[in-house]
Amino acid sequence: MTTGVLFDVKRFAVHDGPGVRTTFLLKGCPLRCRWCHNPEGISPAPELAYYAHRCIHCGECVAACPHGAHRLEGGKHAFERSRCVACGRCEEACLGGALRFWGRPMTVAEAVALALEDRPFYEQSGGGVTVSGGEPLLQPEFALELLAALRRQGLHTALDTCAAVPWAAIAQVLPFTDLLLIDLKQADTAAHRRLTGRGNQLILRNFRRLAEAGATIEVRMPLVPGSNDGPEDLAAAGAFLAPLGVVRVKVLPYHDLARSKYDAIGVEDTMPRVAAPTAADLDRAVAILRAAGAPAVASPGR
Amino acid sequence: MPPDGPSLVGALAAVPAELAADLAYLRNKFQCPDLDPATGLDNEALKTGILALAERLAGQPHPVVKARAFEYLARNVRIDASPHDGFVGFGNWNRNDRLLSGLIRRWDAEVTKEFQQCVGLIHDLNRSGATMMWKDYDHSVPDWDAALRLGFAGLRERAREYRARHEDRGELAPAAAAYFDGIDITYGAILEMLERFQALALRRAGGNPRVGAVAECLGHLRQGPPRTTYEVLQFIYLFFIFGEHFDGIQVRSLGNLDQTLLPYYRRDLAGGTCDEPQVRRLVDTFLLQFASINNYWGHPFYLGGTQADGTSAVNELTYLILEEFDRLAIVTPKIQIKTAANTPDALLDLALDMIRRGNSSLVFVGEEPIRRAMMGLGYTAEEARTCDIKGCYEFSPRGKSNETGVGHINMLKPIELVLHEGTDPQTGLAVGLRTGPLENLRTFDDFYGAYIRQLGHIIELNLRGALDMEQRLDLINPSSVFSATIEHSLATGRDAFFNGCVYNNTSVLNAGFGTAVDALMAVRDVVYVRRELTLAGLRDALAANWAGHERLRRGVLRSRNRYGNGLGEVDAWAAAIARFVANKINLRPNARGGFFTASLHSAKQYVDLGAKTGATPDGRLAGEEMSKNASPTMGADACGVTALVKSATRLDAAGFPGDFPLDVMLHPATVAGEEGLAAMRSIVRVYHGGGGIAVHFNVMDADVLLDAQQHPEKYRGLQVRVCGWNVHFTEMCRKEQDAFIRRARGLAV
Repeated sequence: MTTGVLFDVKRFAVHDGPGVRTTFLLKGCPLRCRWCHNPEGISPAPELAYYAHRCIHCGECVAACPHGAHRLEGGKHAFERSRCVACGRCEEACLGGALRFWGRPMTVAEAVALALEDRPFYEQSGGGVTVSGGEPLLQPEFALELLAALRRQGLHTALDTCAAVPWAAIAQVLPFTDLLLIDLKQADTAAHRRLTGRGNQLILRNFRRLAEAGATIEVRMPLVPGSNDGPEDLAAAGAFLAPLGVVRVKVLPYHDLARSKYDAIGVEDTMPRVAAPTAADLDRAVAILRAAGAPAVASPGR
Repeated sequence: MPPDGPSLVGALAAVPAELAADLAYLRNKFQCPDLDPATGLDNEALKTGILALAERLAGQPHPVVKARAFEYLARNVRIDASPHDGFVGFGNWNRNDRLLSGLIRRWDAEVTKEFQQCVGLIHDLNRSGATMMWKDYDHSVPDWDAALRLGFAGLRERAREYRARHEDRGELAPAAAAYFDGIDITYGAILEMLERFQALALRRAGGNPRVGAVAECLGHLRQGPPRTTYEVLQFIYLFFIFGEHFDGIQVRSLGNLDQTLLPYYRRDLAGGTCDEPQVRRLVDTFLLQFASINNYWGHPFYLGGTQADGTSAVNELTYLILEEFDRLAIVTPKIQIKTAANTPDALLDLALDMIRRGNSSLVFVGEEPIRRAMMGLGYTAEEARTCDIKGCYEFSPRGKSNETGVGHINMLKPIELVLHEGTDPQTGLAVGLRTGPLENLRTFDDFYGAYIRQLGHIIELNLRGALDMEQRLDLINPSSVFSATIEHSLATGRDAFFNGCVYNNTSVLNAGFGTAVDALMAVRDVVYVRRELTLAGLRDALAANWAGHERLRRGVLRSRNRYGNGLGEVDAWAAAIARFVANKINLRPNARGGFFTASLHSAKQYVDLGAKTGATPDGRLAGEEMSKNASPTMGADACGVTALVKSATRLDAAGFPGDFPLDVMLHPATVAGEEGLAAMRSIVRVYHGGGGIAVHFNVMDADVLLDAQQHPEKYRGLQVRVCGWNVHFTEMCRKEQDAFIRRARGLAV
């Protein structure tokens, strides 16, 4: 029985595939997208988030921490991340809700039991379960076991992947995956590297192989002003996607509501400082993609 | 309290031009009317006149005295017929100043003195906050089928026929004679008043076709039953005013309008009497009457349902009425939608879309769960299928029942009573059982046993109080307007509100259910599992309103062991307590020849009883509101809406035929787009499928609410679904606003 490391489970997830779903978010990602709104999902290791504005300086975490990472200095709380080993003990002790521990183990059995809780909702809405992250296929055995077990329960399965992983990892989960949700962030590999830390050749190759394998694919395109919303970028993306037979291409507006998470986990805030695309911007992007032959739609969600 | 019609401000943007011109008049119609003094006496003169009349008639039976007072009002109250309105204007509309209420208060004092034995007990129960009890005249629904079929004149005629039958059989006892006299005088007065209206409209018409139409409408309603859509709506409106604002018996549903109007609507269209846009404007004006009256508890009507052949009763009027209601963006009337598996998705989506845009004065009541609850009381399947929905979300057999609501149980007070060995710590009143010294409650099982005994005791006292209070409602507030519609009442010669219906029931409401479960779990965890405090220590911490125990309090507040998180273990306790309450109350005989029903509905008492309850083990501070309805403590549900529904549907809603409502709060992002709408719909379907009865929604963004607190002028139209009714957020007191903001902050996005 494999154990995975997850940073969240979202119940009543409405924008992670068809119907009402439960989404399992696995920790660890090979990319570093500048606009990522789940930065707590990037590192595969458990980590502590400290939301300073919620701290009430009660000192409970100081007592709970065996490694001296929390201190009270002059009545004010100070967090020394270098001493933190991410054991998570302080999260429980915190009285202000200022500490969040991201990255907990979960067995496949536990995950399936949790997923089954909401079966009536899946049935009423044509929903199911989505395995996401981070990048779920960085834990390929766990992802495989989980998807297979969910399938055995008769649930609809979706896999939300960036596809920047070995084909073998994708191929082995395919038989248990009803729907693939894959991001396409930039069709130009140099731009892709600038924006995400890696080129896109592996991603594009996997796209093609998936199309050849007859997989059901829904593409997600986060529209990030100044990064991938130029007419040439969109036309190129559209042209790449057009012959692949994907079900739809959802264009999602960028937002920076997750900005506070970066500071909370102590990583550099890379989120672009641009306004969210307007409805008109979305419609323009959709039009360019469609003109290039891709079945694009605007998505209202966040 | 009545606001200056801000509920109509939001309507301005959306209504067609011809309606916009009427809004200023309609806004003032019931809030600050401007009636011609030449048409009658002012309210103070009327009150004086009524008291003088009551003096003159002293010694006569109360139904007759009240009917004569009704007649006096009908003859002398100021009236109006305006070109801005298709519905006539009355000089008596304010519930807080009803012209007959002085009479009713006097009779209440007399009857209390003569008949009641438990006045002291009731007083203590109310003062301690263990219950809130009052005589209820607020939850009856006339037999609309009979009323619309017969009209005012026909109702009077039918009553005369029944009176003659009683006489022929030699069965007309004095009380029955007085009962029939009351009806005859009252309906005669109604007909007289229709003539006054007609005459005024004719005088005022001056070629104005609208006022001319009013005159013609009233002329027909004097003679016989309504024949057109317009006449039906005028009739319902008139009956409402006569029944509720004159006769002091709340008309607690305007009926299932998509059914009652349907034959008239179709006939009108086929015969060319009016076209659809005209009907829409009529419906708008009708709805705006009640928006203008603006009683906070709302004016309900219901839609939907299932036909006898099993197909959906949803029709073109269902959509038309909802669409117009949506256009007006008003907080009242409020609409209940009878929902079954056969209810079209399109209808649910129309309603859900309105709700997510902020027009949330809607509730979905599940027909199958209602059937289960009603048949558990011994009603038939047909009685369940055709039931009226009334009040906030209650249900009862159509045309033959009356269910009062006497007594709101405070489910948190028994915890205080256990901790203080039977004495209420807030008032020192010994309303509870002596469950003994705290050191004898050695296990959680002991504590739970003591709680259940205290709760059972409060319920018993409440039932005793209700039996005492309801002995002679007919003497206090005879219900002539209502009674004439109920055939069984005429057949038996008995007041329909009191005991003249086939079913004369009394509902017992309960507040604080979710918080009580949380409090018990907290006692278990803090005292018996983690041993952080002894029971006495906890008692003292609560008495100090948690002062010096902030750490403990926050730890308790963060506990997952609360009702609403879908945890099987906690929900098992919740279900046990719910089942006990239901078993204790349902089918116990009441004082009116009927029985008691259990309700998990808290109305406003989750606030008012909360004010009388000290701090509780779940972390709640003294005086704070408690949980409402079948819902968890506000903000306690930390695992999302699916877990919430799971907890609620683990309870047996069929044990609460009084009613069983769930409040759901969602963030706007969750319900955005096509997916979001379908997701909302799945909540309704799964909740009903799991046995839950009533569900309603708030779709709120905490940031918007905060902004509305700072800049109320920008948010006049922002609605909040409070309990079974809506208010404007900017009209709520700060404390209540903050509670909603706290809850909205905790929503998953």
